[in-house]
Amino acid sequence: MKSTLETLRKEAAHLLKEERVKFVIGYAQGTDLARTTPFFAANVRQAGMLTWTPFCVYSLVKYLLDFRYDDIRLAVVVKGCDSRAVNRLVQDNQFARERVVVLGIPCGGMLDREKVLRVVEPAAALLEAEDRGTEYLLKTDCGEFCFEKQETLLAKCLECEHNVPVVADRMVGPKVPSPARPGMDRFAGVRELEALDTAARSAFWDRHFARCLRCFACRNVCPACNCKECSLERAVPGWQQGVCWLSKRTSLGLNHMFHLIRMYHVTGRCIDCGECARVCPVNIPLRELYRKVAKDANELLGMSLPGLDPEEKPLLTTYQATDPDEFM
Amino acid sequence: MERDRLAAFLDQIATRYHLVAPVAEDGVVDYRRVDDARRVVLDELSTVPPKTHFFPQTEELYSYSTVTGLEIKETVGTPAAVLFGVRPCDLKGFLALDPVFAGRFRDPYYWSKRERTIIIGLSCTTVQSTCFCQAFDGSPVNGEGADVLFTPLEAVYLVEILTSKGEQLAAEFSTFLGTEGVEEALRGKEALARELDGRFIRQVDLEGVKEKADRMFDHPYWRRLARRCLGCGICTFLCPTCHCFDVVDENRGDRTGLRVRCWDSCMFTDFTLHTSGHNPRPSKTERLRNRILHKLKYHLDRYGLHGCVGCGRCVAKCPVNIDLTKVIAEIREVD
Repeated sequence: MKSTLETLRKEAAHLLKEERVKFVIGYAQGTDLARTTPFFAANVRQAGMLTWTPFCVYSLVKYLLDFRYDDIRLAVVVKGCDSRAVNRLVQDNQFARERVVVLGIPCGGMLDREKVLRVVEPAAALLEAEDRGTEYLLKTDCGEFCFEKQETLLAKCLECEHNVPVVADRMVGPKVPSPARPGMDRFAGVRELEALDTAARSAFWDRHFARCLRCFACRNVCPACNCKECSLERAVPGWQQGVCWLSKRTSLGLNHMFHLIRMYHVTGRCIDCGECARVCPVNIPLRELYRKVAKDANELLGMSLPGLDPEEKPLLTTYQATDPDEFM
Repeated sequence: MERDRLAAFLDQIATRYHLVAPVAEDGVVDYRRVDDARRVVLDELSTVPPKTHFFPQTEELYSYSTVTGLEIKETVGTPAAVLFGVRPCDLKGFLALDPVFAGRFRDPYYWSKRERTIIIGLSCTTVQSTCFCQAFDGSPVNGEGADVLFTPLEAVYLVEILTSKGEQLAAEFSTFLGTEGVEEALRGKEALARELDGRFIRQVDLEGVKEKADRMFDHPYWRRLARRCLGCGICTFLCPTCHCFDVVDENRGDRTGLRVRCWDSCMFTDFTLHTSGHNPRPSKTERLRNRILHKLKYHLDRYGLHGCVGCGRCVAKCPVNIDLTKVIAEIREVD
């Protein structure tokens, strides 16, 4: 990872020095060993603060939307999974492709910080990380630690579909093997839920949705959610909120409503990056919800994973006479 | 109290009071009504703070009907409750919330529950990597704000009765309490306090931060900090001192409806949106600045109390690692 990081910093410094972009959106070391933080490098000095470790979990593409009405160009660092978001935003005309320089990094998987922190003190400083194919070696000021990928990667990385970015203007670093577990089935979780009887499935989602705080972290982190104004959070005074889909009131029924509306809205847009499930403070398995519709759309309409091709038309904007309609 | 009698003690309480205590579900700990003490989680800081007991996320104020004249049904009747297992940082959180709901307009919804609840605090026996209560004059064994404080020691809980409400509870359940070995337990608590004191990873220095915060409203630092903010409500909803709410009317179209108050968050786009369309906090910059200054300045200005208790929930759960302890350090550094 060291040579990849050097190339990344060089590439970023070059883009900033030549004033090709206003910011390079990448990762910097976070506030403990097992964290990074999104970082907006604005000059050559700051390009030197960019980092690339097995803790770069964040998808940074959504930040492009904060600049969608500004007349500036940006560079963004993407891994395989979040690279699909670039194509999605371009498809939705949310960000012109020529305004972004995509710096793609082939990814060997991201480590689960909880598992790492069971072994290494959080206050330790990470000096270097080495991707050795089936394991990561972390060199810290408290010694060296080896982490077997199959044991310590995030669950989502073991189900990885594209560890090499599907879109990139510059590919930074060498191609690395995919961390996906051989023979993995990304719809396995959905199948398990489908196998439950209705009452058990309903109880499953009731239990999870009852905890929802409606903090909007799932929506705010989601690259499929790029509406300027969200139908789930209409800015109307309290006495009028009764006319909206949802008021600020939380209840099991309204929480169901919130999540099911979101589920349908991300159909054909969800790139299955798993950020929603990562950010949820109350552990709602949101990814399974969106995968359920993706699975249905795949079986009924042959939809493949969104975000692979910028030219492709989003599912809900297309119609063919041969589409199944037995439910009508 | 002997440690193995705790479950029986709590079960007894549950027969006479609403017992509210931390329980776990799918890896999330929050405070709920419990009637089986075996479910109570004793060794973790809850994900959602116990402010939910006095200030629930959604609280019905009244329901109405205009079908046959105007009928208003107010929510009444607060049950007597025991809130068990509140950590020292969250106890301080209650003390920070109290003046907000007191003042010129005393909030009956908050206070009816506050007054009818006996709080049993629980000293910490570990320090998490995100904890920094020390910075705000807290301590893992500080019972300030509780009626009774339990401190887990080797074989016993040291039970300290701190208020008259606490005395009432102790009298009611006196069969569970003994006075033997109290001196030794007190020494045990002191030893625990000393041991935990050295385990804080985060050293947060507040020296000069308030003065700096007083004059950095227009500082470019806020724009830099807010770039990575997602604008979600995690930090505010999980904060033991955040208290903003919005009052919402819901009419059902059949001439009935209800008025509820719901948590609101200064991180949300529409938080200060005016009817005119003007928003004095139009971007993430102003919104995040408001949250940070509320913790470090506004609460101090208004009530002479810290707006942060150092529980570390926002540090642990922020999806983009905006870390208040780092922010404090950066505020000290910037020109």
